[in-house]
Amino acid sequence: MSEVRGKVLKHGEQTRTMHWVHLVAFIILALTGIGFYFNIGFINNMFGGGANASMVHRWAGVVFVVGPALYILLNFERFARFVDTITTITKDDIGWLKTMGGYIPFLKGEVPPQDKYNAGQKMLGLIIIIGCLLLILTGFPMWLWRAVVPPAFLAFCYSVHFWVAAILILAVCGHFFLAAIHPKSRVEFASMMIDGYIDAEISAHHNEKWFNTLEEVKE
Amino acid sequence: MSIFREKGTFTRRQFFKGSGMLAATIVISGVFAKFGYDAWAASDAYIEKRISGLYTLDEKMAIRKSHQNPEILQIYKDFLSPGEVKPVSEKAHHLLHTKYGQDIPELIKELHAHQHDAA
Repeated sequence: MSEVRGKVLKHGEQTRTMHWVHLVAFIILALTGIGFYFNIGFINNMFGGGANASMVHRWAGVVFVVGPALYILLNFERFARFVDTITTITKDDIGWLKTMGGYIPFLKGEVPPQDKYNAGQKMLGLIIIIGCLLLILTGFPMWLWRAVVPPAFLAFCYSVHFWVAAILILAVCGHFFLAAIHPKSRVEFASMMIDGYIDAEISAHHNEKWFNTLEEVKE
Repeated sequence: MSIFREKGTFTRRQFFKGSGMLAATIVISGVFAKFGYDAWAASDAYIEKRISGLYTLDEKMAIRKSHQNPEILQIYKDFLSPGEVKPVSEKAHHLLHTKYGQDIPELIKELHAHQHDAA
């Protein structure tokens, strides 16, 4: 590991705010969705009953759309860089996936240098973007057009919404485990959830390719 | 202490990828929104036609109010309130007012009790 001193600003203020807004909206959506889909009394009661849970779910869905939409409009450059990073798959990313970044004990091998996001995070980013789009495209017809669209289409929306939500909840649980609990990677937790900074030494190790493109500012 | 930041560079490739993702999202959402709007408009148009059809049928009827129907008036005069037209006569109340829910068993008993009267 290279000897680097200092801090790296990995995520700006607006990125962190958007992440928080999206996270809180997602948790409310997941809880209310599970509550009224499976008719689980104690979850529904946290939101004032099944009917209210359904209403909270719909308006949390609006926040879930408006939060990132505002972020993209106000920070198009950051969004474009993010999209570029997660859609650029190189040999190093394939190498990371073969060794799973060293997170799985029986998969041995050298982990190649990574971008700002490693290959796993790139996969998660793509899953979240496509998943959110599917949830939005199936969710709003279920709310606004339920009386006017064909019943078969509505049933299709329900199925897609349910299974995409199930996949996203599992993906976010995995993301939470790696970002907040796993001892190797939880060092990144504060960079998204608190002040945006991460130790330069850690960044130089985990995101070497990206770190080499940064500029150093003395403070 | 050293602080490391991203350079402010923004490449053409990043611009096209970001714009492409945004444009694809807008197009897909737009197509969906158009589909929903058309379904809504078609439903509204159908409801308007149905309303118009019902009003047209109603306007074409020779007798449009039940209390002015000569047959009904005759039934009252002959049977429900003999000699006069009295809509809430006792017989009319028992025979024409319906019951529902938990009152139905009681109604069935009452009808059984009066079945010979009607004959």
